[in-house]
Parts: sequence; C-alpha cells; structure tokens
Amino acid sequence: MIELAHVSKRFGNETAVDDMSLHVPKGKFCALVGTSGCGKSTTLRMINRLIEHSEGDIILDGQAIKEYDPVKLRRRIGYVIQHTGLFPHWSVVRNIGLVPRLLKWPAAEVQARVEELMNLLGLSVGEFGHKYPHQLSGGQAQRVGVARALAADPDILLMDEPFGALDPITREKLQDELARLQAKMHKTVVFVTHDMDEALKLADHLVVMRAGRIVQQGSPLALLQHPVDPFVESLLGGLERGLKQASLTRVKDHMTSMGQMLPAQSRIPADFSLRQALSMMLRDHCDRLTVVDQHDVPIGELSLRRIIKEAQLDKGSA
Amino acid sequence: MSLMDALPTPRLRWEGRRPNGVLLSLSVVMLAAFWSLDAVSVAPNRIVAGTGYGALEAFGWPGVLLATLLLSAIGLFAWQPSTQHYRALLASLMALMALMPVGLIASSYLLIDPDLPQARLGLGAAYWVILFLLLLCLIEIRLRLKLSRLWPTLLLTAVALIWWLCAALWLDSLALVQEFRARDAQFVRAVGQHITLVSIAVSISVVVGMLLAMLMRRYSRLQKGAFALLNFLQTIPSLALFGLLLGPLAWLAAKVPFLAQLGVSGIGTAPALIALIAYSLLPMVRNTYIALEEVSPATLDAAKGMGMRSGQRFWQVRLPLALPVLLEGVRITTVQAIGLTAVAALIGAGGLGTFIFQGLGQAAMDMVLLGALPILMLALVVDAGLGALAEALRPGGIQ
Repeated sequence: MIELAHVSKRFGNETAVDDMSLHVPKGKFCALVGTSGCGKSTTLRMINRLIEHSEGDIILDGQAIKEYDPVKLRRRIGYVIQHTGLFPHWSVVRNIGLVPRLLKWPAAEVQARVEELMNLLGLSVGEFGHKYPHQLSGGQAQRVGVARALAADPDILLMDEPFGALDPITREKLQDELARLQAKMHKTVVFVTHDMDEALKLADHLVVMRAGRIVQQGSPLALLQHPVDPFVESLLGGLERGLKQASLTRVKDHMTSMGQMLPAQSRIPADFSLRQALSMMLRDHCDRLTVVDQHDVPIGELSLRRIIKEAQLDKGSA
Repeated sequence: MSLMDALPTPRLRWEGRRPNGVLLSLSVVMLAAFWSLDAVSVAPNRIVAGTGYGALEAFGWPGVLLATLLLSAIGLFAWQPSTQHYRALLASLMALMALMPVGLIASSYLLIDPDLPQARLGLGAAYWVILFLLLLCLIEIRLRLKLSRLWPTLLLTAVALIWWLCAALWLDSLALVQEFRARDAQFVRAVGQHITLVSIAVSISVVVGMLLAMLMRRYSRLQKGAFALLNFLQTIPSLALFGLLLGPLAWLAAKVPFLAQLGVSGIGTAPALIALIAYSLLPMVRNTYIALEEVSPATLDAAKGMGMRSGQRFWQVRLPLALPVLLEGVRITTVQAIGLTAVAALIGAGGLGTFIFQGLGQAAMDMVLLGALPILMLALVVDAGLGALAEALRPGGIQ
C-alpha cells in the first residue's frame, strides 16, 4: 500500500508537485497521466527517494519512507525506467540478478530466480542469458528491465514511462504482457505515462495531473464518463471518448436474453469489448448482434438501441 | 505506371567496388619515389657526407623489377577492392616490408668496397618515404578489413624481427648498425632509462590524475581552476620548464640534505620527472574526468533506483563503463611522455634523447637515428598495445 498525504516538492522557487494526496491500495495498478513537466515523474521518484519530498508524508505499508534507509527502501521497490537503464557491461543474467545479489542471496538462488523470471517474460535463458544489452531489440531490453525490477519479488513496482521508447506494436505486446503478469502477481504498481490509451488499458486507478497538481482521479470508466474539465476531456481523446469507454466495457455486460425476433446474422463472443461490437455493427450494417460463448453457442443478443439507452441512464444517474 | 518505372534501375556490375583512391594514389607516389629518389647512400667514413645511389644501382635489375611489381600490385588490387583483394594487398605490403632489409644486403654487396672497412651504407630518401607510405597503407587496409589494432601490431613485430635478424647477421656495413656496435652497452642502458622515466612519470600521473579528477567531480569549483592551471602548464615549452625547475630544485637540494640524498638536484632525474608529470597530468585528468562524467545518466539513475550504494555505483558501474576512455587517456599520456623524455636528456636525465643530442652535436645523423628510431618504435608499441587493451575492455564488445 502506498499513501501520499499532502506531498509537495519544491526546487528552489519552483513547485514541481503541489499538495498531492493519493492512495494506492495493495495489489492495485495506479497510472499517473499528464503532459510532460506536470510532475508525474517527480511524484514517482519521490516514492523511492530518488527525490526527497519537501512537505507532507509518503507512507509505505504504514511506515513513513523518511524512516527507512533509502538504499534498503529502494531494494524492496521494483523500478523500471524508459531507456531500460540496463548496465551495458553486464550480461542479461547479471543484470537481472542485481538486486538479489545486493541483498546477498546465495548464488544458486539468484540463478534460479533469474531463470524463473526470464521464463516468465518469454526470454529463453539459453538464447538471451549471455547476451549484452546492446545485442537486444528495444522490446527484449525492456523485458529484461522488467525482469530486473521483479527480481527480488518486491511488493511495489514503480514504472516511469517504461514503454515510451518502443514502436507501437512492441509497446502493445508489452502492455498485454504486463497486464497478464499483474493479473497473476498483484503488485502495487505506480505507472507514469503520457499515453492515455496505455493508462486506460492497464490501470485500476487513473490520476490526471497538470502543473504539479491532481486534476482528477478515479477509475478509468469514471473518468471517461465524467471528465471534470476540458483538459481532462481532451487528454481522454475528445470525441473519441465514447469509443474508448466502449473499449473498457465487455459485450456480456450489455447483453440481453434472446428476444422474439429472428437471431441476428452477425455473431460476437461475449468477452469481446463493446467497441469491437460497435465496429462489427458498422461493418455488417446492422443494429443487432448475436452473442455467443466460447463454443460459438448463442447465449443472448446485443442491440444498439439498448446500448444507447443504457448510456443515457448512466449519464442521468451521475 | 509507365514502363520506365517497371524496369529495374540498371546497376553497374562493380558497383560498390569503386577503386580505393587512397591506396591507388599511395601506390603511385611510392612508385615515383622508388624510381626518382636515392635508395641508399654510401660514405667512406662516419664524417664525410655520402653519395646517393638510385634503385637501379643499389638493387640491380632483379631487385628493381621485384619491387616495381609489388608496388604496382598495390595499385592493381586497389583498383577493384574486395575482401580477397585487401588480403592480397596486406600480403604484398608485408612482403615489401620484409624485403626492404634484403634490398639493403644486396646494395651492400653491390656498392661497398670490401677493402674499405670504414665505409658505411645509409638509408636513402626513397626508403624512408616508402616505409612511411607503407604504414599509411597498412592503416587504410586495417580499417577496410575491420581488423582489431592487435593485427597490424603483430605483423609489424614480425617485420621488425626480420629487420633485426638481417641487421645482426648481414648488415655490418649499415651506418645504424655501426653506430649501435660502437655503443651497445650505452644503448641498452639508455633504453632502460627511457622506459623507467616514462613508467614512473606515467604511473604517478595516473594516480594523481585520477585523484584530481575525482576531487573535481566532488568540488565543482576546483574544476575550473585546476583545468586552467594544467592548460597553462601544457603551454610552457618543455625546455623552459626544465630551466625554471633548475633554480628551485638546486636550492631545495642544498637546504634539505635528505632530498639531496634521494638524488634531487637542479639537473638530472628529479626535474625531468617533475616536468614529465606536469605535462602528463592534463591529458590524464581531462580524459579521466570526461570518462567518468560521460557515463549515461539513465544507467546511473537505474543503479541508484535499484538500491546500489554510492561506492557500489562507482566501482561496479561508473568505473567499468569509464575504463575504455580512461585507458585512452593513459595511452595519450604515455605516448606523449615517451616523446618528451627525449628532451629530458638535455638536463642529464639520460634516455634515448642522449643519442639524438650527441648526434646533432657531432653532425652524425646516423647516431640521431639510433636515438630517434627506438623512441618511435616504443611509442608505436605502447600506442597499439594500450589501444588494443581499451578496445578489448569496451562493455560487451560495443565498438
């Protein structure tokens, strides 16, 4: 669990972070989003004391971080940065084993843990173990970066635009993989990005920052439904907002039981997103879809009219 | 789409194999030098200036033909360079260098009168020019074949061995050999002194330079002043610095008997070492400082974020990553010190410079060479050795 209470950071006369309060429950994924220079990276780096905060309290698991030895604090927090920060003179295996070695694990345990993590991240030990960082592609290097951060099995993971320097396809692949890992490991994650789609995709809790202050925070869906001001709305994609919201909703949440009418021709699996359903309606020129389970057996139907009505109800209830 | 777009762009068969202009022109210049300049000179004794002889007189027809063939081969291979051709080029280069002393043996038979034991053979302008240009060719070929620095060093060592063997067995008449024979014990001592002076000066400046560079990183205010001082020291001519040290050191030795016992005096080893260290500090400090500062901030940030203590960050991350650039500093410093130590002979510190200045005084150019050539070779060997070491230490083989 991470708790920020009225935290501020001043560099001379400049205020980088201003009276920030944030609560990240254990096992939750929190994304800090904002334009560059809004203080999101500073916030992240205050948590592992790479930057010392000027005011307020940062509390990890009930203890203020000022009471920790900074080095010991950092060894129990995973840290991933944009350009990987891998040590170019160390092999992949040695890079990943860094924190366990700092914690003086026995060599055999370090080796076993490194191999476990490489397998977890889809890096073959035989193929990549002895390579050096410059021999890796951007995606492979950042996998190693993530493996290194997870090496000592920290409860908390700090990620500073980890996928910012990757091409869109690799980025999406790594996002999917991170989501998969998080579903398995339930780390408490603070994730900094300027890519709203990335944040919407990964986060349980979204924090929008501007000029060192929190503008709005809440679940991705809540922000999409009710952005507090035009700034947040534009960050969320303006007119695209409806589709982004639809991509966070599953078909099965809007499905009704089979009606009296003939079943629609087009079929969609129940765990697809509403966005994919809308796209299919546009493609097939229809306003109804038959919802099927994983064995392609019809289990209900989806109607455009009903989706719109439900959206109106949501708006009305706010 | 027009028909023209559909057709493949015509490609020349030898595209990407354009003649190597550097090697081609070097080959032409070498041929010209071979045919027009004096190959060797012969003098009846040490003092009289020698008479020059062209290639034809010096080597006879077979020798001239062979050399012309090999020199033209360089040009021919350079016309359509491929990996094989570059290898062939390297081979002809080595053959030429190995044949050069053989040519000298030939001319000593052809030109030296066996009844004149004082007569001596000197290397002519063609020899020096071609030797120098062959070295340039070697550098070019090394770059084209992407060889490590170690290879040319090994090849040149082999060539040097051949030269030495020829000189020791068959080239008694060569002026350089005669100069060496006349003072071989002195020569060995001078080489020893030279290497000792350079090693002491460089080791001290490596230690002091690293400490200074680290202090500069800690106290940024020191940085400006220290660099200004070191830059200023570098601009003082070496001879003037020796002169400047003469007074204070003589005074110190007179006042403090302990220092005098250590060998400190106005002339000799002490002022030479002080001056050498003073000159060596700038390249050493500058390279160390840059090497340590240039380490990527992202890497260091990660090291800190991972929970490495500052000592661990320095010894495990910053220093190993800085090492190649740092060694480059040691290389520059050492090569510079090898040259400067020659001047130290003027204030009685010994070393190979002694021969240079004695030779200049006696107008005996061969004796000057006896001092200058080993200095040159020493510098080349150190340069190649430390360069190869720095190359080998690049992290994970990054070029």
